Amino acid sequence: MAIEREEILPKYWYNIIPDLPKPLPPPRDPPEAEFSRIDLLRKIMPKEVLRQQFTVERFIKIPEEVREAYLNIGRPTPLMRAKRLEEMLNTPAKIYFKFEGATPTGSHKINTALPQAYFARAEGVNHVVTETGAGQWGTAVALAARMYNMESTIFMVKVSYEQKPQRRTVMELYGGKVYASPTNLTEYGKKVLAENPSHPGSLGVAMSEAIEYALANNYRYLVGSVLDVAILHQSVIGQEAMKQMDILGDEPDILIGCVGGGSNFGGFAFPFLGAKRGEKFIAVGSYEIPKFSQGDYMYDFPDSAGLLPMVKMITLGKDYVPPPIYAGGLRYHGAAPSLSLLIRQGMIEWREYSEPEIFEAAKLFAEAQGIVPAPESAHAIKAVIDEALKAKKNNEKKVIVFNLSGHGLLDLPNYELMMKRLSK
Amino acid sequence: MSRILVSYATLGYPKEREYLEFIDGCIREGSDILEIGVPPKYAKYDGPVIRRSYKQVSTWLKDIWPLLKETRNRVKIPIIILTYLEDWLPILDDFLSNLSKIGIDGILFPDLLIDYVDEYEKYVKIIRDHGLKAVIFTAPSVPDPMIQKVSKISDIFLYYGVRPTTGVPIPVSVDSLITRIRILVNNKLVVGFGLSDVEDMRKALRAGADGIAIGTAYIEAIEKGGVQDAINLVKYFRGVLNEF
Repeated sequence: MAIEREEILPKYWYNIIPDLPKPLPPPRDPPEAEFSRIDLLRKIMPKEVLRQQFTVERFIKIPEEVREAYLNIGRPTPLMRAKRLEEMLNTPAKIYFKFEGATPTGSHKINTALPQAYFARAEGVNHVVTETGAGQWGTAVALAARMYNMESTIFMVKVSYEQKPQRRTVMELYGGKVYASPTNLTEYGKKVLAENPSHPGSLGVAMSEAIEYALANNYRYLVGSVLDVAILHQSVIGQEAMKQMDILGDEPDILIGCVGGGSNFGGFAFPFLGAKRGEKFIAVGSYEIPKFSQGDYMYDFPDSAGLLPMVKMITLGKDYVPPPIYAGGLRYHGAAPSLSLLIRQGMIEWREYSEPEIFEAAKLFAEAQGIVPAPESAHAIKAVIDEALKAKKNNEKKVIVFNLSGHGLLDLPNYELMMKRLSK
Repeated sequence: MSRILVSYATLGYPKEREYLEFIDGCIREGSDILEIGVPPKYAKYDGPVIRRSYKQVSTWLKDIWPLLKETRNRVKIPIIILTYLEDWLPILDDFLSNLSKIGIDGILFPDLLIDYVDEYEKYVKIIRDHGLKAVIFTAPSVPDPMIQKVSKISDIFLYYGVRPTTGVPIPVSVDSLITRIRILVNNKLVVGFGLSDVEDMRKALRAGADGIAIGTAYIEAIEKGGVQDAINLVKYFRGVLNEF
């Protein structure tokens, strides 16, 4: 069994950049920049992570220590067939899902937190810093840091810090220091608090604090999504899924994932795309945060504070204020540059679904398979259901594979509120 | 033929007299091609050092043409203008005609394959119709088939920038980047963007680059020690190229 696991876990990460149909527009500094954001990356990111961010090698070797860590967190994650869901939908389609919620932190985020922490450790750093909104990314960083005997500091958006105490508890159990941002630990935080002592915090503020804190202490800053290096590391998902499909003797027709910044979708779908397997790729966003339908393809900041270099992406604008939907991970204004380019080239389709629709999908999936999906992943499930019903209508035996990027067991308060709201 | 040294200068930097001194020094110390940066409104793909030079020059240089003419008059080697297509689009014909009239050899738009990738062939034709050479800028993120295609139509040489911006030493594997594209490039290959580190430079040349382009390092030298320091650097880089 152990041998089989090691065979399924890839030895290389897959980078889609050399396989894109057009040049990927490079990151750039804003017109009147007082300092170079690209230069700032050199000071805050682990050197090897930065090299991987800009590499054009198609395959990059996963260090043995990182592979061990992947095995240790239960990779490869299972690829399962949603047989009961098929039956409930009465569809001739076969439905498979890759279950990233099976990792200890409950989502795919750990796949990139581990190598980033490892590379920081390898250059002699003993402390990593990041920001987190709902807590998924912060949890992954806290665990990754602990696995390499490092300290971690996590700036958590204050409103989430107060509303999601369980996430905070998990991070603290792993040894992470969690602060409600804005804090008095940074100049930026102090400035924000001086202007508004009861500021609820935002991802932009938390990110600015994390970057400043990392710079001031010569720690390293870990990046959760959007930058291509995060997608690169997530490619273990899709590569594993390909091997698992081979073992099952099935070939995918339709591949589906949800999109916040794009790392779980890209990590799952890009290896299939690169291997020319699959005929249709569907990226699913939120109707309430309509970046695919209403966003522009343009240069914009990945962070609302404007500290990172601008990248060309489908975006609603860095100052876009998302409504408080329950899929916190999808409340992001843009989509990763490589994913944006592929969508604009028509190689990847997109869908957007509203909250009531995704709630129904989540409920149906939980009833069918017993797994409570993260509200983010439920967006993918809604698209799966639609495709399965379409296959039924056309009587086509499609093979649908999707990424269940996280479980929803820490989202139960959200589900409770959603049930109350939607039953009105 | 020995390897090509492409020396970059921002037009008029830091002031007219020093700029001309530097140009003269570039030629004296063995540059093969002169690349002159015309300050754009937005140096999209340039690093902080080059941007500083643009800013400084824009405080006093209001008309680029007399100084460009003067540059042409002093210099026998090829002169390539580097500037952003975005800025000149509204008056592209006039701009190119003027360059051609004063005897500039070619033009390089770093944003051509990035922001105008669907129309680059059209612009290459427009450039050539004005009697100018079209030097094409490529980068690691340009897909292999496209490198192959544009390498053939790039005049004088193909420019390959190994980093996402000038003058910021982002860690990249220079040797593997160049080994990869050397086989795709059916032309002279000149490598730039953050190549002032001499070890990187040697790696690039060993991996098959025909030449290197230097810019940021000169500007930094002028900032720190003045024009003569920058001219000494030209001499030094010439020496490195002559090892090959």
